Amino acid sequence: MWTKPWTMKEGFLIGGGLIFAGLMLQLSVGPVVWEAFAWPTNGIVLAGFLAIIIGMFLLRKRVYAFRFIGTYQAAIPTLMYAVAMTIIMGLTRQRAGGVSPEMAVDGTWLNNMLTFWPFVLVYVYMAVILGMVVLQSLLTIRRSPFTIHYSLLSHLGLFLTMAAATLGNADMQRLKMITGIGQPEWRALTQEGAIREMPMAIELRQFIMETYDDGSPKRFASKIQILTESGKNIETTVDVNKPVEVEGWKIYQYGYDTQMGAMSQTSILEFVRDPWLPLVYTGIYMMLGGAVCMFVFGGRKKGL
Amino acid sequence: MITWEEFIYFAIAAVLLWAVGAWAAWRDKTAIAYTSTIAGLAIFFSFILMMWISLERPPLRTMGETRLWYSLFLPLAGIIVYSRWKYKWILSFSAVLALVFICVNLLKPEIHSKTLMPALQSPWFAPHVIVYMFAYAVLGASAVMALYLLSFRKKAITKVESGITDNLVYVGLAFMTVGMLFGALWAKEAWGHYWSWDPKETWAAITWMSYLVYVHYRQIPTHNPKLALWVLLVSFVLLQICWWGINYLPSAQGSSIHTYSV
Repeated sequence: MWTKPWTMKEGFLIGGGLIFAGLMLQLSVGPVVWEAFAWPTNGIVLAGFLAIIIGMFLLRKRVYAFRFIGTYQAAIPTLMYAVAMTIIMGLTRQRAGGVSPEMAVDGTWLNNMLTFWPFVLVYVYMAVILGMVVLQSLLTIRRSPFTIHYSLLSHLGLFLTMAAATLGNADMQRLKMITGIGQPEWRALTQEGAIREMPMAIELRQFIMETYDDGSPKRFASKIQILTESGKNIETTVDVNKPVEVEGWKIYQYGYDTQMGAMSQTSILEFVRDPWLPLVYTGIYMMLGGAVCMFVFGGRKKGL
Repeated sequence: MITWEEFIYFAIAAVLLWAVGAWAAWRDKTAIAYTSTIAGLAIFFSFILMMWISLERPPLRTMGETRLWYSLFLPLAGIIVYSRWKYKWILSFSAVLALVFICVNLLKPEIHSKTLMPALQSPWFAPHVIVYMFAYAVLGASAVMALYLLSFRKKAITKVESGITDNLVYVGLAFMTVGMLFGALWAKEAWGHYWSWDPKETWAAITWMSYLVYVHYRQIPTHNPKLALWVLLVSFVLLQICWWGINYLPSAQGSSIHTYSV
């Protein structure tokens, strides 16, 4: 044990140590408070995180442990820990909106996996490994065969997606607005139930509801008029699966007065704003590119 | 208007054609293998198309409907693999697997209603599910390959055999990745967020990472090939939980927004 080169055994021990450290953190400081990462904290954390990875990469020749992080022997145990932790998550009922502390107080640690330190640390370590792998393949990009490039695309894409989605979560806003016919509304409810004024007023013109022969809903949509603070006047229809984008906000058809059904005089719209979305989407498109390349080139091995 | 009543005739015709194709592959009659398999695919697909028209929505919602696509994609994956690597056994194998799923559909018909709730009415619906079904079909093939190598083969596993398994996993994992990311892009449009750790998403992540374990483990020169195949089998079990097992998990009851199968 711990004789170089390290094997998966050491990899499993490091991961186990992380889980232990996570448990200690959970006991001492409580669950992860994701709200604390709101801008600009998340930007600083991301910069620090990148700096640490680059630092470790630069020191990899001197510090063996850093060199080890970029190996399969480190990656595989970490993936297996991530699988195990996520299986626990999949087998236990998760609290809705487990990322907010008010909601996370009930249930055990396992019912709030997203704020459970061991779970979070395993994924953070996975991101560190991804970062090291990306830097390694960037260094050798010119003299490597094409296959390395799609690996780079996949790893960098996953790193970006995970980092931006996790750190950006605190900046994501989701609010619900109850609109009624003939009553312009500009207040919306946050997920915690607080009232907030939106930069636009919305008036429901008509609630559209179509049903199948058996009475199950076929379509529900809201014809609305939007008046923005900047003076724009927009008439549009919001359908399920067809959100409308106005000044950085995506507006979704969320619900209606189910007791009234097709006669509903109100419609519930959801407002979503996610400034980190472009970064997440960049990562997703990179992974898509990586997957396509993997399909086209991945199976080509000599002699098969 | 076509209904499930007519399914058996299309199924018999398609399976017969696939059987002829499989036989031809063993006899090195490549041309017959192609034409017969493709004719079977055309007949089977025409049933799906007609169902699509008569249901007035893509037949992708119930478990029975997704099994329909699965039965289509197995021989399709088979013929693609056959054209690329010329394995004689692949068409027999894909035909038998397709037959299993066809039989399940014939013996266990489920409620097939016409309705499609608004959340599923999206251009993302068909690609998301079809790509996933194709991935499941190819990964199913890799699981059977692993089972064969682990249980029926007495000799050591050859490079060619583990290479075949690798190729199947690469293709399956590529499609699974695309299916998952299409799902994320769709979820943003439908539910306002690309990833909500809904039980279905959680299990999709588990399955995906489990296949990544296999892919990475195979890269270690000193790895144990049998252990790698076990990873593949475990991954396939996890995939089953993600696909349909989740409907029986207490943790997912009532909390998944992914439940559509009536």
